[in-house]
Amino acid sequence: MSVIERIKVHALVSIFWRSKARMLSAVNGFQATEADGVWHLLRGIEGADDPKVRATLFEHMIEEESHAEAFGQVCRAESVQAFAPTFYEREDIFPPDTPVWKLIAYVHVGEVDATARFGVLRDALPPGRLKEALKTIVADEEGHIDLTHSLLLELGATESEIRKTYRQVRLRRGWEGWLRSGKRVVNWVAVTLLSAVYFAMAPFFYRTARAKLRQHKVVYDNNRIKGAR
Amino acid sequence: MKVLGISYGYHDASATLVIDGQIVAAMAEERLTRQKHDAHFPTYAIRHCLAAGGIGTQDLDKVVFHEDPHTKFTRVITASLAPFPHSRREFVNSAKSWLGNKLWALNTLSARLDLEPEKITYVGHHFSHAAQAFMGSGFERSAILIVDAVGDWSSTALFTGEWVDGRPEIERVTEIAFPHSLGLVYSAITAYLGFRPNDSEATTMALAAFGTPRFADVFREIIVAEPDGTYTVDQRYFNFANFYKGAYTDALVERLGPARDSGAPLGLDCLNPDATLSEEEQRFADIAASIQCVLEERILGLCSVLHTAAQTENLCLAGGVAFNCVANQRILDDSAFTSLYIPPDPGDGGTSVGTALYTAAQAGDLTPTGLCHSAYLGKSFDEGPVLEMIEHVNPAHFRQYMKAGVDAAQNKTWKVERFDREDGFTELCAAVADRLMQGQLVGWFQGNFEMGPRALGNRSLLARPDDLDAARRLSTLVKNRAPYRPYAFSVTDADALALLDIPADQVRFHRWMQLAVPVRAEAADTVRAALHVDHTTRPQVCFAEDNPRYHAILSAFGDRYGKSVLLNTSFNPSGYPLVASPEEALVMFARTDLDVLVLGDALITKVRPD
Repeated sequence: MSVIERIKVHALVSIFWRSKARMLSAVNGFQATEADGVWHLLRGIEGADDPKVRATLFEHMIEEESHAEAFGQVCRAESVQAFAPTFYEREDIFPPDTPVWKLIAYVHVGEVDATARFGVLRDALPPGRLKEALKTIVADEEGHIDLTHSLLLELGATESEIRKTYRQVRLRRGWEGWLRSGKRVVNWVAVTLLSAVYFAMAPFFYRTARAKLRQHKVVYDNNRIKGAR
Repeated sequence: MKVLGISYGYHDASATLVIDGQIVAAMAEERLTRQKHDAHFPTYAIRHCLAAGGIGTQDLDKVVFHEDPHTKFTRVITASLAPFPHSRREFVNSAKSWLGNKLWALNTLSARLDLEPEKITYVGHHFSHAAQAFMGSGFERSAILIVDAVGDWSSTALFTGEWVDGRPEIERVTEIAFPHSLGLVYSAITAYLGFRPNDSEATTMALAAFGTPRFADVFREIIVAEPDGTYTVDQRYFNFANFYKGAYTDALVERLGPARDSGAPLGLDCLNPDATLSEEEQRFADIAASIQCVLEERILGLCSVLHTAAQTENLCLAGGVAFNCVANQRILDDSAFTSLYIPPDPGDGGTSVGTALYTAAQAGDLTPTGLCHSAYLGKSFDEGPVLEMIEHVNPAHFRQYMKAGVDAAQNKTWKVERFDREDGFTELCAAVADRLMQGQLVGWFQGNFEMGPRALGNRSLLARPDDLDAARRLSTLVKNRAPYRPYAFSVTDADALALLDIPADQVRFHRWMQLAVPVRAEAADTVRAALHVDHTTRPQVCFAEDNPRYHAILSAFGDRYGKSVLLNTSFNPSGYPLVASPEEALVMFARTDLDVLVLGDALITKVRPD
């Protein structure tokens, strides 16, 4: 991980995560990412022909599920409110008939990134539940890096093919990261604009809204059946 | 006619495919994404529904969405403007979510299914619920009561339904508008009690049995009975229009006392009803009992209005509040209705069924009485690949990833025995029944998964119903389930009346675990581990024609035990939906203290190497 990335993580922990809510929101995101990984491995098992490969992915999936739970347990323990897990919209990484080794290569690159990020985070955190959870998780993820690479070799891919696939996956993940950054910018712009709309428009409409909410009965037919008849 | 019903956007996304008046498949997206109450676009549910029907999207005649996006958008924006100037965050988040996505749900459907817009339509949310309840009931004429948190604009809706000249006519009697909502009040109290709103309302209901309703008068002031039989909610106590501030206000805390932190201990135990409670624990149980009591009173008020309007003894019930099995039974006991139908999934997950059936009926594809559908409408799986995979799985590799408390040092390996699908099934049931008699915990995985949240014998965890140790092990080492949440049981129709204190003509109402009923005093010891502290349970009465394989294992156990009854709970770890695939079932078997897993015709057990 680059020096800039490390500085960013330390700043995150020491400044932004002073707010426990922000920290828990981030950990909930880690939980969701791990759970998403479990789901993709499940899809991989369903798509793999070789029972041995399925078995390896199955064992890998069990570890990832325990990681998701470890992050969930941190959230449960640190929050006074009931834990509500973050969910992501599930989407297959590759079309259904794609050979399973492509998914494994994708998982491998994800493990490399996760190990680096969680490792820096582990080092930056003060002692506590999250640091303890990360110690175990990072150790596991390091094992997964070797495991997924070995699995690709077992499936008959050559080192050069594997390296080429890793590069493609990194490009793709980079593009996905870029899109996420773009979404964050769009989100920030939307929040700013809609906040302006709120303060410009709401003073004229809030009384009408309050009157509307005082109505006890629905006074118009909201059950019209458009086109269904 | 081929109709696809769709629900998504708030919680419990689902899809239902109806071809020529028959439900081909109906499933919640959560089962296929492993995210409980998943609200996202039901990509995978749609995919599997279409696959089950052997068709593509271009073959569909209609796609019907379960709510009116424009009405709902108006309500959401109105609700976010009303608390001005304290609702900027609420407004921004609502506007962002709706303008960015939800308002264009019909366009999204058209684009993602690659269908011309003319094929996409919608029905109102509560109308979807009403259709879902009435269309499957088999009643020629019925009253229909829909109670949930909130739909397009209403929170409660009363309808009448009748088949006229082979077409269903569903007419509105009255609707109560948001923010007056029984469902939202119940969810807010669930949050107050430290549980997760929109998820753990059943926990509040379970807690109620430990308390006495000493706060009922407070709730009667909060949920005011109106002279016309409906109700209003005193909004000073809640933040329904501004929920980022929390579901309830300080005014509620002043009336009831401090709210419970989610991690605070709650030493209630269904299996140990004599445990001494602290003052605080008793207060929380009493608050749960009080909201439950007033909820039932207000629902009975609505039933009274509806009975007068509908002039029938039949009632169809749906909406999220219809998951409240205690209130459901109270309707049967204390209202003028004598016949009750609740669909297998009365919540939003079932609205896709209602929209699809109603649209098909409008085309003349349905008859009024031929519709009482099955609950086993989900996807089925081939267990073969998993059984091949098991040969290569080494449990020693993931021993350290067992659930907390499970004895990972037992060093067990797995043994797989396969039985012939037809001739060997009796032998398989006998082997499983023997193990159940010994107190072993069994994961039972068969065929298509269930529609709705209840395990009805295709994705079930089973145990001996009088074995308190097995039930405790199930709670702590398999399910991670709070001890104050009771288990229920499945019983064959032949033995139902010997255990349940219900009239014989009500046995058929209990097919899907929707009513809490008393157990006969003389039978209490037989099902001790599946009883609540008030000696009620939420039974499933299993008929052979509904689920022959499940009926067979119940009967095999009955041959040994004396009664064909088993403790039955959902096959899922806490926080997850019911398992869908055999791989998920195997993960749970691997990581927990489950002793036996039955995958179709295979028996998988944990054995010591020696």
